[in-house]
Amino acid sequence: MDYQAFQATLSSPVMWIVSAPLVIISVSQAIMFLGMCRKEAAAIGISKEKVNSAMRSSALTALGPSLSPVIVMLSLIVSIGAPTAWMRLCDVGAARTELGVCSLMASLLGVEMNTETFGAEAFTYSLWGMALNNFGWLGMVFFFTHRMDGITAKMEEKFDSKWIKVMMNSASIGLFAYLLINQIQSLAMTKLTPAVIGAVMQLLITKGFSKNKRLQELSLGISLLCGMLITQALINAGIVA
Amino acid sequence: MSFDQRVIKNGRLSMGLAIIANFLPAIVYSVMYGTFPGIGGILTIWGTVAASYGVSWVVQVIAYHPTMGAAGSYIGWLAGSCGDIRMPAASIAQTMAEVEPGTHEGTVIGTIGVAMSVLVSASIITIFIFIGNAVIPLFPQFITDSFSHIQPALFAAVYIDMMKRDVVHGVISLVVGFALYKVMALVGISTAFITVGVIVATVLIARVMYVSRAKKNA
Repeated sequence: MDYQAFQATLSSPVMWIVSAPLVIISVSQAIMFLGMCRKEAAAIGISKEKVNSAMRSSALTALGPSLSPVIVMLSLIVSIGAPTAWMRLCDVGAARTELGVCSLMASLLGVEMNTETFGAEAFTYSLWGMALNNFGWLGMVFFFTHRMDGITAKMEEKFDSKWIKVMMNSASIGLFAYLLINQIQSLAMTKLTPAVIGAVMQLLITKGFSKNKRLQELSLGISLLCGMLITQALINAGIVA
Repeated sequence: MSFDQRVIKNGRLSMGLAIIANFLPAIVYSVMYGTFPGIGGILTIWGTVAASYGVSWVVQVIAYHPTMGAAGSYIGWLAGSCGDIRMPAASIAQTMAEVEPGTHEGTVIGTIGVAMSVLVSASIITIFIFIGNAVIPLFPQFITDSFSHIQPALFAAVYIDMMKRDVVHGVISLVVGFALYKVMALVGISTAFITVGVIVATVLIARVMYVSRAKKNA
């Protein structure tokens, strides 16, 4: 299968059909629990006005953060196709997590995303990688949520919760260190330039404009755009090669 | 059946269906194009994602449980973004309805907040996927080309964001990680193990720093 034929498979009707069920289940589940809880709220005497204001405010709160991964979303559409991007952004795993998994899978096969080396095999690896990664959270919830009250009590007794927090942070730092190193390990300017611009912009926005909350929400998007566009401009101008 | 029992029954049913749906694209694509990675391949993939995200699977689900409750956990972990969308939505809903978190009233209202936030984000993502899918072919070459630079920019920006909490640890981990990556690659160790190596090294560095700081403060 040549590259163009492979690209067509990414957004074939079949991919839309197999990607839809998870989104449908997630939305139906939300609607079902919404109905259950509204009934329960009425039964325990919470007024309709309060319930409506809770619904309105939570919907508004969700607006901003739902929009913020739009740049990564566009790049996911380009590299793994719209149906898969849609399904994976509607389920657990942030946009950057899904991109991280695809990047890991590409590195397992020694290929690179957004190039002709990323073909049907690498895409299959990515599909399995995202499914197995998400299964980690889904499986945990499926097997343990109904007996979680006992588990949390035992955990607090047994472990140093401060260290658990540090360990969790450092594990995700380690992962992103790997992902970043894997990108820049050849020390090629085409890889270093976007990394440096992205890092500097992120530092500038989060440190320099720390009081502007709107800007903080957009910071990752802005840093990405600057990194991508400036690098491409420098390449086109022949400055970075 | 009590409210809590109904939550668990319906929650587990939808989670079970979701787990099946989660694997659907991978299975169908593998069969259609004959690209199934084999049992060995699947295990390598599983090991790699477990090394990368396994700690989050376990710790996040446990850590968010007291705030999200059972129903919130079922909806929230299926839709994702628990930290940055679901929890804020639950907490603003509780504030607006003047109920206390941790009480039965708080759980019911918090769940309403989580459910509403899922409906909003699923709609927004769906709309933007369709818009994106339609406009991407119209982008000038310059923009389409620039997408190939998103990974270094993204991982660097996220790294900067994460290491803000502990700059020294962040810098040391990156330097040690880089050296480790190069050495392991040189010796011919497979990528899956390099991933694990860098993550384990970072956690070990954090442990050493944590212990030595605890001693200093003692």
